[in-house]
Amino acid sequence: MFAYYLRLSLQSFRRNPGLTALMVMAIALGISVCMVTLTSYRAAARIPLPHKAGMLFVPNIDSWDPDNSYDKDKPANAPDLQTYRDARGLFASTIPDRKLIMFKAGGVLSGGLNMVPEYVSARMTTGDFFPMFETPFLYGGGWNAKADEGPEPVVVLSKETNEKAFGGANSVGKTLLWHDREFRVVGVLDDWEPAPKFFDVSNGSFDDPEEIYVPFSWGQILELGSDGNTNCWKTEDIKSYQDFLNSECIWFESWVELRTPAKVAAYRQFLDDYVIDQKSKGRFPRPLNNHLYDIEGWMQRNQVVGTDNKAMLIMAFAFLAVCLVNTVGLLLAKFLNAAPIAGVRRALGASRRDIFLQHLTESGVVAVAGGIAGGLLGVAGVWALRAWYGRFVQDLDRALPTDYGTFVIAVGISLAAGIVAGLYPAWRIGRAAPASYLKVQ
Amino acid sequence: MGLRPIFSALMRNGAGAILVAIQIALTLAIVVNAVFVTGQRLNKIGRDSGMDDQNIFAVPVTSFEKNHDFFAMVRNDLAMLREMPGVIDAAPTTQIPLSGGGSSTQFYSLPDKKGEKTPVAYYNTDDHGVKTLGVKLADGKNFSSTDVEYREKDVQGMPGTAVVTRAFAEALFPSDKEHLVGKTFYDDQSKPTVIAGVMEQMHGAWVGWDKLDRVLLAPLIGPGPGIRYLIRTEPGKLDAVMASVEVALRKRDPNRVVGKLRSMQNFKQSSYSGDSLMAVTLSVVTGLVLIFSSLGIFGLATFNVNTRTRQIGTRRAVGARKRDIVSYFMAENWMVTTLGVVVGCGLALAVGFWLSNEFGLPRLDLYFLVGGVAGLWALGQLAAWQPALRAAKVSPAMATRSV
Repeated sequence: MFAYYLRLSLQSFRRNPGLTALMVMAIALGISVCMVTLTSYRAAARIPLPHKAGMLFVPNIDSWDPDNSYDKDKPANAPDLQTYRDARGLFASTIPDRKLIMFKAGGVLSGGLNMVPEYVSARMTTGDFFPMFETPFLYGGGWNAKADEGPEPVVVLSKETNEKAFGGANSVGKTLLWHDREFRVVGVLDDWEPAPKFFDVSNGSFDDPEEIYVPFSWGQILELGSDGNTNCWKTEDIKSYQDFLNSECIWFESWVELRTPAKVAAYRQFLDDYVIDQKSKGRFPRPLNNHLYDIEGWMQRNQVVGTDNKAMLIMAFAFLAVCLVNTVGLLLAKFLNAAPIAGVRRALGASRRDIFLQHLTESGVVAVAGGIAGGLLGVAGVWALRAWYGRFVQDLDRALPTDYGTFVIAVGISLAAGIVAGLYPAWRIGRAAPASYLKVQ
Repeated sequence: MGLRPIFSALMRNGAGAILVAIQIALTLAIVVNAVFVTGQRLNKIGRDSGMDDQNIFAVPVTSFEKNHDFFAMVRNDLAMLREMPGVIDAAPTTQIPLSGGGSSTQFYSLPDKKGEKTPVAYYNTDDHGVKTLGVKLADGKNFSSTDVEYREKDVQGMPGTAVVTRAFAEALFPSDKEHLVGKTFYDDQSKPTVIAGVMEQMHGAWVGWDKLDRVLLAPLIGPGPGIRYLIRTEPGKLDAVMASVEVALRKRDPNRVVGKLRSMQNFKQSSYSGDSLMAVTLSVVTGLVLIFSSLGIFGLATFNVNTRTRQIGTRRAVGARKRDIVSYFMAENWMVTTLGVVVGCGLALAVGFWLSNEFGLPRLDLYFLVGGVAGLWALGQLAAWQPALRAAKVSPAMATRSV
């Protein structure tokens, strides 16, 4: 029966090829526009490390100006970064299963086998960075807490840096010069390009990851400033690097891994105790305002998914709605126009159900054709968007990965939408009394 | 001709009419808001940066060898760059305007953090900065080469003189906008700086910042080891000069790192890429919505005419003129469009209100709504015009013919 309905549909399409093409195009364009915006939305909205949801946290404590909140638009937010003293203070807690403090720096890297001296970005971090964020290693591994304390002159290279310095060979145990000091390679990362760059959203959530990783304490020995944001509120006479470290300027980020709810509660208590203790020492002039964000909360706090992205997604779906209403109207007109034929079929014994299914098949065919055409158009659209984006973004696959999931979603939506769009016209035509159509108009 | 019978006839085939009305309502809501937001973004992208941003590029250099004379390197590099063919001027800078990266600080109109205060994006450069950036001095004068401070260590505080934008100066001295040159402002340590010159306009680092035009140029170089050079070329020679500068810098002194050369236009496009993407997406969606809505109205009107040939023939047979038939269909279309437009107005306002509430976009300008309503009315009539003409061609003889 289905094959017969399909044949009838094809006949019907042949009667009005222009109109059929219009319906297919409407669905196809609606779907493809949705697909393109959905791709860029999903690229921005991905939550990293989903299996660690509820375990990784970012503490924020409010060390800011008594007269002004850190973010005037969102006065409830505490600063997203910490002072050196507070970063060390929070790092001293023994509650977390893992913990890290870090900042972004840079310097000239040279030496190695064939390294052309180059200014490289560096993540100055404590050793738990690697297990906490599950960085993939090509060779070797990270460093332990002892190396953090020393600090030992160890370095982890990105895959790309290792290629520049050692031609991609296993370089564990070899040395490089950074800031004119010798550092020993202990690990080389494999491709690792988290998007968004969730661990440093304050400096750009789609920035490239750093080129080398160095123990945090080297930052103080080499007297490195931040290559990212540094924010200060207090009038302080800063004459030396030590003054800077002791100032109220914020440029450090902390993360903790807390595996049980009990530890989360204990850590919250620790944050409160810490701030109250600091208040007794004359710091933290603002009211107690501590936050402990999980990854998803942290992404939301920093608005990693731009509002433009959401607005565009909504516009795209509104466009799809217009396309579907359009299709419903056209299908209705088309079916009603061909009502005499349905009338003849009813008179010859077809049931209402038969007529309904026949017309639903017809709209289903339109939907499938629209879905396939829309999917292809969408792929072309994503491709065009990537080409356009490629002018600004260094690593395109990270900022806007090819997302086959959206293709499936798009075709799925299209099928569902086409069938929904066909329901009313098909029902309407099935309900019509055959006799009236057998008569003249 | 009364509208009543047309309305009654419409109600007999309500579903089709309602679908067209819904489509028009949605179209109005989408198009009005999309055009409004697109216009805003295009204005933002197209505003004057105050600089000759088409003809400027930047190159970072870092000295890394121990005992490398940083200041000698800067002086020699700049002297060489300024002599190169196609180069108008070159200047050092800490950061690149419009790049999204920069430094800002706070200044006060009086000592001891009193008086007016404003944040400002600042660029440390030398006496060639003004010419290299291509900014216009509205008042006062540029600082001279003797004003430039060569700083060995990273200490706080600006040199005693600066060139600032009018927007910055007026924020500090709102009551005396005529005499901005020579005014003194203070940092949070009460260290004074005098305004040497006032730039008409210059954009700073962050294009999303509402104080983008509060900018300060300070005569300051250092400390090392890193610095950037800005190079302004004669129009049309950017690419050629970029290539020759890269070679020349590497050749002049191999004992330092020459980073990636990038045009200011590239930084600018990258900074505005979100806005361009929004504008492009919304324009495409607007165009498509309009095309499909008019095709939809056209298709439905055509079908209406086809299904009613006999009725039209009858009306013609009993005396209706061609004109009456055309106006009948136009009136019918007008009613449906009006219904859609009325619903659409409410929808458009709701969407606009929601967009501005939820996403902090500016509130929808009502002129856009008026324009959208007029446009859709016209579009509706235009789409129905050809089918109505076809209806008028139906012969009165159709009245007596069977299907």
